[in-house]
Amino acid sequence: MLKFSYCNATDLNQALVQCRFAGSFGPLSSRRRSPRAVVSCSRSNLTPIQAVLSCQQQVRSDPVESELGSLADRLRLGGLTEDGLSYKEKFIIRCYEVGINKTATIETIANLLQEVGGNHAQNVGFSRDGFATSPTMRKLHLIWVTARMHIEVYKYPAWSDVIEIETWCQNEGRIGTRRDWILKDVATGEVIGRATSKWVMMNEDTRRLQKVSDDVKEEYLVFCPREPRLAFPEENNKSLKKISKLEDPVQYSRLGLMPRRADLDMNQHVNNVTYIGWVLESMPEEIIDTHELQTITLDYRRECQRDDVVDSLTGPELAEGSEIHGTNGSATAITREDDLDCHQFLHLLRLSSDGQEINRGRTEWRKKRT
Amino acid sequence: MVATAATSSFFPITSSPDSIDSKNKKLGNGSTNLGGIKLNPSASSGSLQVMANAQAPPKINGTTVVMTPVEGFMSEDAASSTPPRTFINQLPDWSMLLAAITTIFLAAEKQWMMLDWKPRRPDMLIDPFGIGRIVQDGLVFRQNFSIRSYEIGADRTASIETLMNHLQETAINHCKSAGLLGDGFGATPGMCKKNLIWVVTRMQVVVDRYPTWGDVVQVDTWVSASGKNGMRRDWLVSNSKTGEILTRASSVWVMMNKLTRRLSKIPEEVRGEIEPHFMNSDPVVAEDDRKLVKLDDSTAQYVRKGLTPRWNDLDVNQHVNNVKYVGWILESTPLGIVESHELCSMTLEYRRECGRDSVLQSLTAVSGVGNLGNMGEIECQHLLQLEEGSEIVRGRTQWRPKNAKSFGKMDQVPAQSA
Repeated sequence: MLKFSYCNATDLNQALVQCRFAGSFGPLSSRRRSPRAVVSCSRSNLTPIQAVLSCQQQVRSDPVESELGSLADRLRLGGLTEDGLSYKEKFIIRCYEVGINKTATIETIANLLQEVGGNHAQNVGFSRDGFATSPTMRKLHLIWVTARMHIEVYKYPAWSDVIEIETWCQNEGRIGTRRDWILKDVATGEVIGRATSKWVMMNEDTRRLQKVSDDVKEEYLVFCPREPRLAFPEENNKSLKKISKLEDPVQYSRLGLMPRRADLDMNQHVNNVTYIGWVLESMPEEIIDTHELQTITLDYRRECQRDDVVDSLTGPELAEGSEIHGTNGSATAITREDDLDCHQFLHLLRLSSDGQEINRGRTEWRKKRT
Repeated sequence: MVATAATSSFFPITSSPDSIDSKNKKLGNGSTNLGGIKLNPSASSGSLQVMANAQAPPKINGTTVVMTPVEGFMSEDAASSTPPRTFINQLPDWSMLLAAITTIFLAAEKQWMMLDWKPRRPDMLIDPFGIGRIVQDGLVFRQNFSIRSYEIGADRTASIETLMNHLQETAINHCKSAGLLGDGFGATPGMCKKNLIWVVTRMQVVVDRYPTWGDVVQVDTWVSASGKNGMRRDWLVSNSKTGEILTRASSVWVMMNKLTRRLSKIPEEVRGEIEPHFMNSDPVVAEDDRKLVKLDDSTAQYVRKGLTPRWNDLDVNQHVNNVKYVGWILESTPLGIVESHELCSMTLEYRRECGRDSVLQSLTAVSGVGNLGNMGEIECQHLLQLEEGSEIVRGRTQWRPKNAKSFGKMDQVPAQSA
């Protein structure tokens, strides 16, 4: 039985959205999304598409609400696809989102993925208040947290390029949900990147993981593709690759990183995208100067708060069974099957104080095209 | 197009396929007219409508030109009024009357269109990607921004860094649209030839209200002369929907030789390039000419050391982006102030740039409480410097208690009940 209750300003945002760690999110915008937007979905005999469309009808039928929503929507240039099971939005790359390579930074890309995920949730009629949890989840004090984030960028967009990002979510096994993205260059139509993320449910008091119960699952499944749809459908793709833990002694490090005010979300936790920046801090400069990031995979283990001090560690990843082909003692591994200009690294972020692991990561770098 | 095909199976199409195509072509993608039958709007998904708008061709400098076929109409009629006058023709010439009425109507419509009676809609169609456009006699550049989720600070409103990023974006886009962009970022062709660049020396920002997530802000920017060899750039940020002024900002720029790092007069050639774009209005923010003091370890009450630029902080020239300084300044502002107050005004003096390998420290002193007759307002002095001593930025900020403007926020009662 589909059951949506709006009286507690609930929303399934976290289920559908890649959001900041520990499930917090943007400001309350429920005044702009009428409660009536979701009430119509409570008819249990609606098919998924009808449920979505009737939600939107409700939003539009209230002239004040639709006027308030439409201006932002039009500028946002996004909307559900025809079957209502995924969401597409266009973004133009702004000048301050561009880095030393004259192209958008990986943090910009990650921010946009987060943004489009949140807009997806809002577009299907869920508001985006702090916790974005369903009634059942709120009762049990459960929230969504990111477990893994995997981004591949084939071509970085430049300033004033327009990209289109499509996103959707679906169930992942018994304990999680996943959100996938595909990024395209609007001018050429080519796919410039793909990403996938995995989310698990956690009890916000005990901070322990919990299985996704059936009633929670039903609440968001209506917006997910019925057949599995993967951004990375190929077998043995890199998004599934296990990341080994980097052991001491490590080759490169940057110690004493501290969260800035801007890194913290509303619950004073460091947001997901900041970790990407920290991981890159310990990359050797010779790679940063000559290569661009092709792939990044992050496994989130532990949260980080305002007063924590973090060490960022980097070391080459040795391909299984391969030897180190180094020159002059430099130990960057070159895989046999890949291009000689590709480098792979393992990363570790841990607390300076007690060495506890915050997250571990893996990156692949390709030579810059000049 | 899938939706139109799907709905066509519900609505009988009486016209020939050819006319449908031509109708569809006229109305663009996602047409809602099939053979003259209007589709029930509720049957088409909201996404199709949004997409149709997004695909409207962007007109960067577009202003709608209203064609009035009035003259054509009149002459057409004059040419045709030669039939012999029978007793029927002794009645008033209806065609002339009709022409007159049409003239009046078209003239009125033209007036109507030129008034800004519905300002937002034409803007949005012309500027679907938020690139912005020149308005107002070609001197003001206007761009809209939707506040994104990751631009929100801990208190659920757009951060001051977000606002300043928008100012920076519009400044560069203004230069680009006005043809003043010689290289990537800010120098005219004449300046590039002489290795000259614009350098910001001073910035003042006054925030009346911070936008929240999902708000759409409209940023207007223009330039004026500042003294004989400087330039002033002003910004006005308003709520796109309500027109309420949110932020006003003003910045002063000087010309510098990028090789010698010495200040330079504006060469005649460059003056010719930029002066036509000067608006020469009064500054949008009253100049705060109180001297900014330099803090040191003894006068500063709060110090935050060990600030280092991350890769993401660097611009294409590998210098730290100006806006990041603001974040660092706030690092040493006591948390108590940041949590209970919001930044309402800021004055910055830029002294030096810094790059990837710099290590900085941020100093803050609280210089006034309850100043200017405003209860609860706090004033702070700031210094951002390299740990070895060189000054990067001096600043002064004013803070007002949060929810001081709560009257405007009363309608934001969340939809929570019981």
